[in-house]
Amino acid sequence: MKRSDPNRGEPAQGNPQPKNELDELQFFFAEQLRKRRALPKDAELSERARSIVRATGRLSAVERLEIYREQFWLRHTASLVEDFPGLSGILGQAAWEDLIEGYLEVHPPRSFTLRDLGLELPEYVEARPDLAQHALCCDMARLERAYLELFDAADATPLNAAALAAIPEAAWENARIELSPTLRLLEVEYPVAELRQRVFLARDGGIELLLASPEKQRLLLFRRDLSLFHEAVAAGAFALLRSLTQRVPLVAACERAQAEIPEEAASVAANVGAWFADWTARGFIASIEV
Amino acid sequence: MSAARLGLPDLGVGVGLRVPHYRYVVEQKPAMDFFEIISENFMVDGGRPRHHLARVLEQYRVVQHGVSLGIAGPEPLDREYLARLKRLVREVKPPWLSDHFCWCGAGGAHLHDLLPIPYTRQAIARVVERAKQVQDFLELPFALENTSSYLEFESSTLSEWEFIGEIAERANIGILFDLNNVYVSAYNHGFDPYEFVECVPHERIVQIHLAGHTNLGDYIIDTHRGHVIDEVWNLYRRTLELTGPVSTLIEWDDEIPSFDVLVAEAEKARTIRQRVLGGERLEAIARGAPPRSAAPREDAHGWQQGGPRETAHDGSTP
Repeated sequence: MKRSDPNRGEPAQGNPQPKNELDELQFFFAEQLRKRRALPKDAELSERARSIVRATGRLSAVERLEIYREQFWLRHTASLVEDFPGLSGILGQAAWEDLIEGYLEVHPPRSFTLRDLGLELPEYVEARPDLAQHALCCDMARLERAYLELFDAADATPLNAAALAAIPEAAWENARIELSPTLRLLEVEYPVAELRQRVFLARDGGIELLLASPEKQRLLLFRRDLSLFHEAVAAGAFALLRSLTQRVPLVAACERAQAEIPEEAASVAANVGAWFADWTARGFIASIEV
Repeated sequence: MSAARLGLPDLGVGVGLRVPHYRYVVEQKPAMDFFEIISENFMVDGGRPRHHLARVLEQYRVVQHGVSLGIAGPEPLDREYLARLKRLVREVKPPWLSDHFCWCGAGGAHLHDLLPIPYTRQAIARVVERAKQVQDFLELPFALENTSSYLEFESSTLSEWEFIGEIAERANIGILFDLNNVYVSAYNHGFDPYEFVECVPHERIVQIHLAGHTNLGDYIIDTHRGHVIDEVWNLYRRTLELTGPVSTLIEWDDEIPSFDVLVAEAEKARTIRQRVLGGERLEAIARGAPPRSAAPREDAHGWQQGGPRETAHDGSTP
């Protein structure tokens, strides 16, 4: 079979509008599905629905549309609660439902996969200062998005010891470190990773969830052997890794970390060798560009 | 006249590969003619979904089934989606690939549902053109599945079987014939499911789906929950009489049972195949009336085609 452009003869995407009778029907249908509350049985909608959808002896046209609308909300809220169990656990049922109904109105699903549905939720939570425990919710949303991204991030072959040993001494100053795609850095004001585990215990064990007090943490989130882990790290190590993710050469990254956190400057100088050896051994370093 | 199944192989009887069974299948390697995967669940860069897929491909024949193409939608086909799908096809190497006669969204929103199409000439033209493009682009045989629907459009001028038959012929694609969907739509719209079975172009049926559903009394939801009901097994028997051997798949996406329950359901399909294809003719198939016998059983909560995707909380909660 020959290859062809799947969009041949089609207009470019962007701000799509109905162009014909079939499109108009589909836009109307899609608009009804996204309505937050059950479709009203008022005369206006009923008349419009009847002109499009056949009623049966058992169901009116609006009731048949309502089947799809209800499924839209059930499907998408179920997906979000699966991906953000910590956030939903903190908020409780009513506040969670209110949050995600608002989210889905502002950020309707646009990706072909439900996996992407909640990727903008941290920003939406950030923009909702009315939420109880707002700062805690912001941290939890960012943590859970990071887990989502790490779970199916690209597999990377870690740098091996032989490749590391082959790098000339003089090359280290300008070496750029490529960290594994299965590693994320997250700075939080609350110990949300531990709290998230308590959410599961509370949910599964029926015990009361005690929310956490503020405690600034710098977290390394990573995937190893297909499972996800978190680990709190020292401020100097965190600052160094953050610079490395920004492709700052190794020596300059060390200097930047020391400048950012002067009280950790000595620690960075003393520990950088050990940290680097540890990160390499644990597969956090994907490659080194010299 | 096309060759039976468009010349595609009869793979026997398989089951849909679902998240709760990944570990069991990978570790225990149970006997199974083939598995069907939901393409979108594996269109990711790495991690556990790809790891499990690689292990399954070492042991089994796999066909790909999609739920997000939205071939009849108002917007053009998603180029990026197709490119990612093609990358997966190159890895899986399925004998064919399928999706649905449906649309999935409008105005840039993807609603993650298999939305019904009005059976009109305008819709036929749209789907035919795009089905050809998909088949050409993916460079492998393409099939579309009849969906369950919960409403009909006033603008429809054709029956569902006329609609999908004409598209399949004109686009030269296969049909994935879902007999549970035939039953569900017949119940919801009041037509005779056997008319659908008799009139669909049999030589284009490349695969059959069988599944359970949820009867809410006024209508049935295609939840893929529970056992295949007797009326659907009867539709399967009649279809096999008309098609001959066709790859058959059991789907179970909600309240997913242990793997041995799926194996037993697949074994039932295999027994029926052997009896029907071995020459046993069925004379006592009830026909002529829309299905009305099933009593309401249970509610339907949020469900999704293909069951849940694998997430960070399946056994490795950090």
